[in-house]
Amino acid sequence: MIPLSWYLAVAAILFVIGFYGVLSRRNAIAILMGIELMLNAVNLNLVAFWRYTQPDQVAGQVFAIIVITVAAAEAAVGLALFIALYRLRGTVHIDEIDLLRG
Amino acid sequence: MTLQDFMPILPEMVLLATAVAVLMVDTFLGDKRWLTWVGLVGVLLAGAATYWLALQPPADFQDMAASDAYTAFFRLVILVVTGLGLLMAMNWLEAHGEQQGEYNALLLLAAIGMTLMAAATHMLTLFVALELFSLCLYILAGFERERASSGEAALKYLLLGAFSSALFLYGIALVYAATGALTFAGIAQKASLSPLFLAGVGLLIVGFGFKVAAVPFHMWTPDVYQGAPTPVTAYMSVATKAAAFAAFVRLFVGTLGVEKSAWVPALAALAVLTMVVGNLAALSQHSLKRMLAYSSIAHAGYVLVGLAAANTTGTAAVLFYLLVYAFMNLGAFAVVIALERQGEGDVTLSQMRGLARTHPLLAAAMAIFMFSLTGVPPFAGFFGKLYLFQAAVQANLTWLAVIGVISSAVSAYYYLNVLVQIYMADPETPPTLAWRPVLGLATLVAVVFVVGIGLFPDFWLQLALGGMRVILG
Amino acid sequence: MVLQAVFLITALLTLGSALMVVLHRNLFISALFLIASFFGVAVFYVLLEAEFLAVAQVLIYIGAIATLIVFAIMLSRGMMTGRTSPRNAQALWAAGGSLALGAALLYVVVFRVQWPVAEKAVPADMIQRLGTGLVTDYVVPFELASLLLMAALIGAVMIAREKEV
Repeated sequence: MIPLSWYLAVAAILFVIGFYGVLSRRNAIAILMGIELMLNAVNLNLVAFWRYTQPDQVAGQVFAIIVITVAAAEAAVGLALFIALYRLRGTVHIDEIDLLRG
Repeated sequence: MTLQDFMPILPEMVLLATAVAVLMVDTFLGDKRWLTWVGLVGVLLAGAATYWLALQPPADFQDMAASDAYTAFFRLVILVVTGLGLLMAMNWLEAHGEQQGEYNALLLLAAIGMTLMAAATHMLTLFVALELFSLCLYILAGFERERASSGEAALKYLLLGAFSSALFLYGIALVYAATGALTFAGIAQKASLSPLFLAGVGLLIVGFGFKVAAVPFHMWTPDVYQGAPTPVTAYMSVATKAAAFAAFVRLFVGTLGVEKSAWVPALAALAVLTMVVGNLAALSQHSLKRMLAYSSIAHAGYVLVGLAAANTTGTAAVLFYLLVYAFMNLGAFAVVIALERQGEGDVTLSQMRGLARTHPLLAAAMAIFMFSLTGVPPFAGFFGKLYLFQAAVQANLTWLAVIGVISSAVSAYYYLNVLVQIYMADPETPPTLAWRPVLGLATLVAVVFVVGIGLFPDFWLQLALGGMRVILG
Repeated sequence: MVLQAVFLITALLTLGSALMVVLHRNLFISALFLIASFFGVAVFYVLLEAEFLAVAQVLIYIGAIATLIVFAIMLSRGMMTGRTSPRNAQALWAAGGSLALGAALLYVVVFRVQWPVAEKAVPADMIQRLGTGLVTDYVVPFELASLLLMAALIGAVMIAREKEV
């Protein structure tokens, strides 16, 4: 049997990789990809806790399903904004979005 | 499950029906201005449902959402803000030729998320409600499609918001791991000071910090507030804060109250940083919207003082302040909307020059809002700050109250500077305003409440205290 | 033994792909690695006996989200080839911060807690329970999630559509 801590370690590392992606990228889509990795890590956590502590309840899995739904909704709106903005400005680097500084 | 079981979330169901009605009516109606009134009727009905529920004994919906005096207070705040938000947007949407149906429907959907934030007693409800209103606000922030800065604000808001949600979720997962519970009651029972639990709570604080724009999680605020369409900025600057603090207080003071010693120092530090940085940064702004963005950061700092006090008076003061802040900040933004030139999406301080000469009533309203935001008696803002700082002193956090008083003295400089521009300076080009009767109505309502709450603060404080007694037992 | 080997290989592939997502300089290749990483997480769900989630992961994350991302990249000209995904000026600080956060999380989650071993088996009717749960005990979040999707639908259409004058 695989120990729970293995899953948690993988989830923690996945979360941190996503975290680094968000902080270090300039491109909006690349940042969004980092966020998706973080959400995956959270889901892995939730499902692993569910399996090892209360597999006869559904809370952990329901939570994971809702997180997936939210991630899909956010990705849809985020990419729509990205496309609209790209059409308008031709740039998608988040730190070139400098109309709003000062 | 019977219909009776759904009563605790009746106001939300009314709001949902209204949102759908707005969308449906939109397709059949020629004169889109009616949509605002449809929305407003829905908000009033939801208000009536809230009042009716407040007379019933407290109830909860399957451990997911509670309907008690605390929820009722925040439902009231958010419904009033939503009503004013609908009114403030009406003339603006007309002038800009934007989609009225979608705007009003999204605003109502956001309101559902916000009221359920206040009602949530389960991490899952809390999270979905948070995401629901955040998502609606991301879309609304990008509503002015031909102005690039609006879309940029929306994208930035979405990325930072989703990032903070991920941190928040990881916090929930760790708390779930430490306690095995997702309901607030279950978490309160199993709460301990284990490193796992504390790490989870720390991540929850970071998540809330982003949502209420506390320093150092505030970097998105000025850009988003400046770029978003002004009616949206007005709405989110007050409604997001009310909703996020509602959940913040219920979760921390209510559920984690026993472990107070663990999180009070963190919140006190956040409060200091937020007040100081917010006020200092606001000093050097030329854009009115940016200035109000930093000022809203500073106000989040004042509210955090009450939260750090973590006693009955402190948290009641938080509720009272959020109510007061809603009116004074919405009012200030209403004036900004009135002054805004088509397609610019912003107003500079120099554009305010000589407003008193051309539009004395508008100038007087702005003066009342600025005095109230500064905290000058007898306006409502004074009592808000008074209660917050009093509570901090009671909780042996006198130093926090002192920093609060000093930083609000600093804030007087930039608030009063606006008045100097309005009353003393000569106009460069005399501001010409389009006649916007509905916007005027919204401004008038805000003025009445800022003055009214200032004259009779006790009534509203008792209401807030009633809400807090539910939380603290 | 076999399970553990599968776990380790999956972990290696998932984390390796995730690293490529955040490090590779080409946006399109990053997106492809993202799909690999999503797939690895689906394998973990299978190992955890959460079959429904594994399917949902493949259908929604890979079938919808990753596809959307790839679409968005292909719709923006010049994003397909070359070094299209630069790092920003604070990448070094971000790396330091991430390492610190990772060390702290690993310390707290893995080394400071005595985790239970899974004693109970997953009930055979898990999917039925899940379905029932979503429309009974969890009906509020479930309905809220549907509102969320409605809002996203309205918003995405509104934003991406050209404004008719």
